[in-house]
Amino acid sequence: MMNPESGDEASRMELVQRIRLMESMVEEGRLYTAQCGWIFVLWGIVGLVAVGWQYLQPDSRWVGMWGWPVCLLAGAVLTGIGRAFQKRESPCGGGTRSRSVEAVWGMMGVALAIYISSAMVRHLGWQYSFTAAILIMVGMAHAISAAILRWRVQGLVAGIWWAGAVATFFARSQWDVELVLLLEMGLGMALFGLYAMMMERRSCGEVNKNG
Amino acid sequence: MAEGLPELDPVIHGKLRLAILSLLLARDEADFTWLRKKAGATDGNLSVQMVKLEEAGYVAMEKRFVGRKPQTIYRMTAKGREALAKYVDALKSLLGEAL
Repeated sequence: MMNPESGDEASRMELVQRIRLMESMVEEGRLYTAQCGWIFVLWGIVGLVAVGWQYLQPDSRWVGMWGWPVCLLAGAVLTGIGRAFQKRESPCGGGTRSRSVEAVWGMMGVALAIYISSAMVRHLGWQYSFTAAILIMVGMAHAISAAILRWRVQGLVAGIWWAGAVATFFARSQWDVELVLLLEMGLGMALFGLYAMMMERRSCGEVNKNG
Repeated sequence: MAEGLPELDPVIHGKLRLAILSLLLARDEADFTWLRKKAGATDGNLSVQMVKLEEAGYVAMEKRFVGRKPQTIYRMTAKGREALAKYVDALKSLLGEAL
């Protein structure tokens, strides 16, 4: 066992360094390391493609019926493949926070799938309140995730989604709703995903520099 | 050596071992590659330090396969958590007002 003398300044500094090392390592361990920015970018693109597709062929019954479901299904498949590849490349047990955030987004995805597919079957999709409910759900996932990660930027993104939901109720036409969706997909998904990817890259750079 | 001051556990006091335990404190489990990356250690050095922590009973190791890829997982044991808490208390006592 060691017992540094209390009066020795060098020992004191060394002990302070130990405390700082512990603090930084505990913080590193708590960081959400799932590298999820690309998923937001992907879903932003999925939404933009779906809205764009609908805009280009507004009168096509086939697009009206299947444009969104096809894009959403493609997004889900690509996300699954990407996550499986990611886990294989970097297998690492997550902390409680990582699992909480993954659970929030995973269950939000399941809830949206049930909601959208049920509405599609009954041909009740893409009404104003239907779209608003989706925006509220995505905003809620962002808000919970922001609270868990204590990430203000994501909290702001949650606010953007909820503002979009409110705006949807004031829409005068379907195209107003599509415009809100375009903004949400571009700003609240793709742009936020790019920002998250940038932060992840910076975080990796710092780890490598410290290493 | 001043009288009445707490002693620091030498197993935990090593910089890399302290970094490893601190990393494991925040996670349920972590694999060797992740620990090496976060702690900025080499394979050899990390292996040696992990063995020391295992021998002290502070971490538990499990080998498993993800697909065909072998994976070495580490978890901090209850004994490890207790020892780290004691170490932090000892540091606080030694540093006193400086903290």
